Amino acid sequence: MVKDSTNNQNLLTLKNIESGYGHVKVLHNVSLKVKKGQIVTIVGANGVGKSTTIKTILGLIKANAGEIKFKGETINGLETYEIVASGIGYSPEGREVFGNLNVYENLRIGAYTVDKKDFSERLEEVYKLFPRLKERKNQEASSLSGGEQQMLAIARALMQDPDLLILDEPSLGLAPIIAEEIFNRLAEINQMGTTILLIEQNVSLALQLSDHAYVMEKGKFVLDEKASVLAENDYVQKTYMGIA
Amino acid sequence: MDLTYILQQILNALSLGSMLALLAVGYTMIYGVLGLINFAHGEVFMIGAFAAMYAITGLGFSLPIALIIAIIASVLVGVILERFCYRPVQGSGDITLFITSLAASIGIRSLFIMFFGSRSLQFPMPEYLQGIRFWGDILITDLNLIIFIFTVLITLALSLFIRNTKLGIAMRGVSYNKETAEAMGINSNSIIVATFVIGSALAAVAGVAWGLQYGNVRPAMGYHPGISGFIAAVLGGIGNITGAAISGFLLGVGQVLFVAFLPSVYSGLRPLFVWIVLFIILFYKPTGLFRSNIKWE
Repeated sequence: MVKDSTNNQNLLTLKNIESGYGHVKVLHNVSLKVKKGQIVTIVGANGVGKSTTIKTILGLIKANAGEIKFKGETINGLETYEIVASGIGYSPEGREVFGNLNVYENLRIGAYTVDKKDFSERLEEVYKLFPRLKERKNQEASSLSGGEQQMLAIARALMQDPDLLILDEPSLGLAPIIAEEIFNRLAEINQMGTTILLIEQNVSLALQLSDHAYVMEKGKFVLDEKASVLAENDYVQKTYMGIA
Repeated sequence: MDLTYILQQILNALSLGSMLALLAVGYTMIYGVLGLINFAHGEVFMIGAFAAMYAITGLGFSLPIALIIAIIASVLVGVILERFCYRPVQGSGDITLFITSLAASIGIRSLFIMFFGSRSLQFPMPEYLQGIRFWGDILITDLNLIIFIFTVLITLALSLFIRNTKLGIAMRGVSYNKETAEAMGINSNSIIVATFVIGSALAAVAGVAWGLQYGNVRPAMGYHPGISGFIAAVLGGIGNITGAAISGFLLGVGQVLFVAFLPSVYSGLRPLFVWIVLFIILFYKPTGLFRSNIKWE
């Protein structure tokens, strides 16, 4: 799983992206860079366009203008399954595990683009990271707790050994201690060489974990800084971290 | 009306039940991945029967070869329907899909009436299928038995396939959530095509069985079995493959018993039975007889 971590290389770039739903424009001129090996977070209130940004990257929503490059290749215009197969793992908002499948089958779908002989190897690595999933491998995903479902969503995204892991609100609705456990795993995953792009409402937890962060308001990035700098920023503390 | 009589009727119904089971599984699988009640499924069934009939009488092939030709013909039509009728209107709402499939059904049927007339054409039965055997007082035809065994084997193989293979798991994933499946690297359109291939192949087998059992084919032959197969899919809890297969058998047996218990002047009322079942199901158990809140069991 250890990847060549020549830093400062842009893994993912968004340039002047415009996107939205039908006639409703959500993203205005959004640009973003994720360097190889980094953890980058997008923070912001509900409904400002964070998930739209991610869905546009994945091709679930088509960008109206701008360019998205992944590993040097332009990916906007490709179908979602092609974008994912090029090396992006995705843990969607609300987990979206396949409730009718058991844990093992969910992971097998996550490895859809992977050769059969690599599959068992990946499965072992993912089970090592989330031993609880191994214990529950034959259990239907809909019967898991919220935290376990989140672990499954992340594990499923990791099955194809992605270059970039995108997570939409992984701590949503989880008890703080579970959220912390999930974030510890994310740090571990990053240390093993996977670049991470994160959307998170728990701003203080996210900024602790991240190298770089963007603050989004009304479909635009208003701040773009090192995470440690943003964590000290007065405006961010007041608006997003509840520190007066 | 003794037990022998009832047993005899149930055995007579095995082949009809098998055909309905095969059709119902196709309905339920296609509904699973596309949310579409494919009303043209009865026509895909009819085309299978016609292809086999033509392969035997026109081209002189043996029955097994004719069955393969029937499967190829039905699969082709199923895939063409998906590609050129259903895919263009995907995402424009259930009603649009529903009307499109009705139009396809009526269109294909009318086309066949134009070319072949609405009369029945003879479907030849090879001699080796004409045997009968007695179990005590009960008579059973070899054909009935073969169709039943064949159907059970196909359904078992299919459920193993859906349960254990990568493609089968992907089908269940797509049926649960298409968007998430795409985001896992699955091309949902190719999964939908695969589902149409399987569903149409099953319909072709049912069509050939129908031709053998009743000795003839005609352009409108898909209408009643199509409706019955659809109702069996509803009865099984739509999206539930095992449920659909069992319900197909139940409906087949039910139809035959329904007529058996009525005075013979009412035997034309056989199609009424499935509608009665549909009404009862929709009133009292709209989720079907079998667990159906979880798709693709």
